[in-house]
Amino acid sequence: MITFIHSYLLLILFLWFQKVSTKIWAHILKFHNFVRSQIWCFGFKSYRKEPITMLVRCLRGVSRRACAQYSTVAEPIQKLDDFRTNEATVANHGLQHLGKYYRIEPEVKKQLFTYGGLPKSFEKQIKTFGETCLMVREPAVEVMHYIKSTDLSRPTVRYVLYGVDGAGKSLTMAHLLHFGLEQGFVLVHVPWVANWFKRPKETASSGSKEGFTDLPFDAASWLVHFKNQNASILPKLDLKVSKDYVWSIRETTPAGSTLLELIEHGIARVKFASDTVEALLHELKQHSTAGRCKTMVAIDGYNALFYPQTRILAENKVVVTPDKITLTKPFLDITKYDWTNGVCILSVDRIALNEERWESELPQYQLGKEGFEHVDPFVPIKVDNYNNKEFHSCINYYLNRRWIQNSAPGFDDELKYLSASNPFKLMNICAPL
Amino acid sequence: MFLATKLIEQNARNFAPRLASCHCRKLSTDPHASPEIDNDEEFRVLNLRQVQAQARPKRVIKKDVAAPPRANKMPVDQDWGAVWPGPKTFHPASVPLPLRQGYTEKAAAPPSKYGNAELMKIPNFLHLTPPVIKKQCEALKQFCTPWPKEIPSEEQWNKHFPMEVITTDYCHGLPTIRNPLSRIVTIKFKLSTLKLDKHAHDKFLRLVGERYDPETDVLTIVTDRCPLRKQNYEYAQYLLTALYHESWVTEPWESLKSEADMETYHFIRNKSKVSAEEILNWGKTEGGKKLVAHEAFGKSVENLMNEGENEYNIQAYKTEALKLLGLPSLKSTSP
Repeated sequence: MITFIHSYLLLILFLWFQKVSTKIWAHILKFHNFVRSQIWCFGFKSYRKEPITMLVRCLRGVSRRACAQYSTVAEPIQKLDDFRTNEATVANHGLQHLGKYYRIEPEVKKQLFTYGGLPKSFEKQIKTFGETCLMVREPAVEVMHYIKSTDLSRPTVRYVLYGVDGAGKSLTMAHLLHFGLEQGFVLVHVPWVANWFKRPKETASSGSKEGFTDLPFDAASWLVHFKNQNASILPKLDLKVSKDYVWSIRETTPAGSTLLELIEHGIARVKFASDTVEALLHELKQHSTAGRCKTMVAIDGYNALFYPQTRILAENKVVVTPDKITLTKPFLDITKYDWTNGVCILSVDRIALNEERWESELPQYQLGKEGFEHVDPFVPIKVDNYNNKEFHSCINYYLNRRWIQNSAPGFDDELKYLSASNPFKLMNICAPL
Repeated sequence: MFLATKLIEQNARNFAPRLASCHCRKLSTDPHASPEIDNDEEFRVLNLRQVQAQARPKRVIKKDVAAPPRANKMPVDQDWGAVWPGPKTFHPASVPLPLRQGYTEKAAAPPSKYGNAELMKIPNFLHLTPPVIKKQCEALKQFCTPWPKEIPSEEQWNKHFPMEVITTDYCHGLPTIRNPLSRIVTIKFKLSTLKLDKHAHDKFLRLVGERYDPETDVLTIVTDRCPLRKQNYEYAQYLLTALYHESWVTEPWESLKSEADMETYHFIRNKSKVSAEEILNWGKTEGGKKLVAHEAFGKSVENLMNEGENEYNIQAYKTEALKLLGLPSLKSTSP
């Protein structure tokens, strides 16, 4: 690998000194992006510093003008392409916008997805394209339609997103989060539940509950995520804590202090972060039911909460089940139907579980009987592969972003067959084109 | 002891003539007699070399000349049943067929039928050619009675005689005509011919276990524990009677059957119903009339659980869940 990188560097330098034409440079840059993506795909962590990228960036800085014509960086839009929509208000997205891309403002993206929420490969694409665009797709429009026509004084409705790998469950959830932000929901968003159970930062036995395991750093980082997502709305709502929370002899959060103070304490005292999450979600449920706020719960990989295995070992070297982890209970509680002014969007994903449960992506199989009974009655929302319209819209977008540069006649049909219209596969196949 | 004296006697008998001849030789050593004796007797020559014996005539080994395969001489219109009357190992010379069987290394033709062990290993049905079967059936016809006119069709026949009793008779050339296998009795019938209610049906199936085939609805009972066929047949009848009556009995402990013991998912017994009704009755006061979950919703959940998950069942569940939660579907409201 190292020899490969070295020879690759030498080749780039050589070409630079040869002063090759700009067109060839564009191809080299594209190839480099592909190589980089491959390196990341195979998980060569030692190359995260990416010396090649640094070098190429220096070179690119010099030849920016030359490369501009072939770069994938966004340019100001003069006229609206037919695969885009100007409708920036997510609530207005309807059936007439299906298959069209809308742009998410960088500030919004920063607020919503700084600490996760978009798949890594999609993040990389955003970086390359220089803009965050999401396609308006039917599942998201459908859920928004339901939310808009829901009587919020009724018990919380649970929506379960399901679909094959790479069909866009997480991005549908991202779209809905944007909707929630716009509509003034307090967002309770877990980007990927399986991260807690598969690769926790640290585990510790719980101080408050006998026999339970804490994930202090994960809980604290979730609190940071929560605080970031709700940074604009929490001060406005000015929600108060309903009872005293005694953390230790010297530390208490008295009744009447704001939720923000509670969160700040949880972040500062990582030891109590797990309990803080529980307290916070409990308070949010109370406030929502009382009508002081409305809450959108969005949990990706929700089925991991019901899978009887984790990769966490307790102190006695026994595998901990999810129900023995302090973070599980609050998120199960908040997805019950016993509160109002809320909406739950849950996604079930077979990747969240181990391979033995990969046979079907359908919700009941993924949730298991216990999980099914927990969320029943729910609204299953299928996130499917691209249909024809969405596929062509996506191809046009990639052409527009110059993500696809070689477009021989009939290339789109070929891509369709190769990717089976699966959004994730299509993105990967188009990378080296 | 007796043996020892016998041996000594025998030795004495053997030595006697020798001693006698020794004595003679000693007597004849006087000078007068010796020349005559020399002329008369010739010294035998000790020939250590092998004397050329007269060549014996070589025995001619008579080889039986193998008769040409009789298959070559068979007329085309012969009675094959007479050539091959019973089950027998394959014999190449008797079968006038150019058979080949077996594997060769190169892509050559398979070995011919002569000296071919492959053909001898496999069972053959050369004794059961269609004309032979026809002939045998004709011969058996005289022992048969005509089929009763009252039960012409199979449905009729199954209706009047729901139970099938299968026994086997063995016929072989042995001093005894008994075969222990002929005692075995098998009875078969369709379970639907028994009058059972839901509980009795369930219990019956649990009692018979793997003897019941759910695909064909046929129950099979095999009895072989008694020495005689009649006893086994009666035992099978007894078993069937006992099973039938036992399955109608409800024991007091059967009421303890919990959700985990259920064979199928029942909506009314499960948490699903509780959740659905709590959502429907949300915010209602104690005195108010309680709503009951839609039957269609229960049905869709049962289908999802019992039939297994598929896209159709999920869509049906979704439609019912939307109705239950009071949400308008997207398609119906769209222009």
